[in-house]
Amino acid sequence: MISFERVSKRFERHDALRDVSLEIAREEMVFLTGHSGAGKSTMLRLLMLLDRATSGRLVVNGKDVATIRGRQVARYRQDFGFVFQDHQLLFDRSIFDNVALPLDIAGFHPRDVGRRVRAALDKVGLLGRESANPAVLSGGEQQRVGIARAVVARPKVLVADEPTGNLDPGLSAEIMALFEAFHRVGVTVIVASHDLALISRLRHRIITLKEGRLVGGVGR
Amino acid sequence: MNATVPDAQVGPRPALVSWFDHHRRAAVQSFLRLWREPIQSLVTCLAVGVALALPAALWALLQNVEAVSGSVQTAARFTLLLDQNTPFEVATQLAAELEGQANIDDVETVDRADALKDFAYGIGLNELMDNLDENPLPHLLHLHPDKNLSSAELDALFISLSTLESVDQVVFDTQWQARLGAAIATARRLTAGVGVLMVLGAALILGNTIRLGIEARREEITVIKLIGGGDGFARRPLLYSGLWSGAVGGLLGAVLVALLFGFLAGPADELFTLYGSDQTVSGLGFKGAFGLTVAGGLAGLVSAWSTAFIHLRRIQPR
Ligand SMILES: Nc1ncnc2c1ncn2[C@@H]1O[C@H](COP(=O)(O)OP(=O)(O)O)[C@@H](O)[C@H]1O
Ligand SMILES: [Mg+2]
Repeated sequence: MISFERVSKRFERHDALRDVSLEIAREEMVFLTGHSGAGKSTMLRLLMLLDRATSGRLVVNGKDVATIRGRQVARYRQDFGFVFQDHQLLFDRSIFDNVALPLDIAGFHPRDVGRRVRAALDKVGLLGRESANPAVLSGGEQQRVGIARAVVARPKVLVADEPTGNLDPGLSAEIMALFEAFHRVGVTVIVASHDLALISRLRHRIITLKEGRLVGGVGR
Repeated sequence: MNATVPDAQVGPRPALVSWFDHHRRAAVQSFLRLWREPIQSLVTCLAVGVALALPAALWALLQNVEAVSGSVQTAARFTLLLDQNTPFEVATQLAAELEGQANIDDVETVDRADALKDFAYGIGLNELMDNLDENPLPHLLHLHPDKNLSSAELDALFISLSTLESVDQVVFDTQWQARLGAAIATARRLTAGVGVLMVLGAALILGNTIRLGIEARREEITVIKLIGGGDGFARRPLLYSGLWSGAVGGLLGAVLVALLFGFLAGPADELFTLYGSDQTVSGLGFKGAFGLTVAGGLAGLVSAWSTAFIHLRRIQPR
């Protein structure tokens, strides 16, 4: 479903990705690991069209993403749920409104928005906190609001970049368990994490990057 | 934590329905946002109001001048200078004849002695009369044409009066009317020019406010783009805040003009009376105030759109 074909990404004089070829199947859950600076974020950014490959092809759902331009980019991103290391919540509005944002963009009826937002907050264990401001939550809770926002529109693919980067081990394990739960109901999950101790305990494919090259986990 | 909580399988609504719905909500929320920072909003709207009030006041003033000049014009007067040796009896007889014409309202006969007195008094030289051996003036007729005559009919009347026997000269000062007309045309151009400049100024003020608004909402816009919102979605609240600030500014401008005209009314009405007009000074009126509000709203919309067009694409998620 997602296929990197000899993808390279070059920044000025630095190769962030070199000749990366990789397949990720529908409904698979994979971890992307490697030291800081290995190119994990760059791969995810290419997938989200936040950046474009210097060479090679990235094919998603049979479509070369290089052909996705202009207004289509926003539409393309709506098929993904994205979880950020720094959660990217908006503190000028309630938890409810934060989680509702993707539904507003997609154009759901307010009645359905309420139902879905509560369902998503229920999944991450924050039902009942809708009207609070996300600023009053702990780091782990904020990350869970971020996850609720990522899944509220039922994306086919959930992408997370270091979602546990700022959390202690206990909370990190909880967050990973949450991703596994989404994987079990058929969502394709891609998680970038350098926390090898944590991800090697979970039995999913681990793709390893080193200085922009794939060094492990290419096959299954 | 359960990833399988069931709920109704509902999807997004048709694009047009949700588009309208988002417009409606963006409109309401942007309007409410104005009151969240009331001082800042008031300053912006007042700046727009002041910018729009100046050309609007000029325009309203011009409307008044034109209305008055219209009524002064109908009070046009011919002065008939009779031949030097025409006796006074002939003059009064001619006056009576002319008064019988349908296109003439009223004729007043002035004895040459009185005419000289009036003239001397008018230029402030009473002793002039003592120094003149002979009165140089003939008897005069002041003739008021019918108020409804067109300028072509006035011209025709002028010609027929000139050809009358015992009439030496007909004086019909149309020059001041031509001058006034030219002055009004100039003032109208000036108003249009000032209007364009001031609307541009208002648009720039609003554009700057919108730009600050974009900066303040950079985070929100970034997140919107990250999770699949397009420029249109991000732009909508900005467009409405431009529209509302502009419209409220226009309305404030109308209030300013009303205050200004209230301030002018006393002396202006007197001025009108002195010009023989029974008119009173009138401001923008409801239509004008509405027009100014719409103009402000449009200026706000256009400036918000262009500002958003320039600045939104620069905000790309990292
Ligand atoms: N916008 C950029 N400009 C220049 N270099 C960049 C940019 N983004 C990433 N890099 C470089 O690319 C390499 C890979 O970065 P990244 O994908 O963020 O690594 P990771 O997420 O694995 O820590 C790093 O050396 C980083 O400095
Ligand atoms: Mg990274």
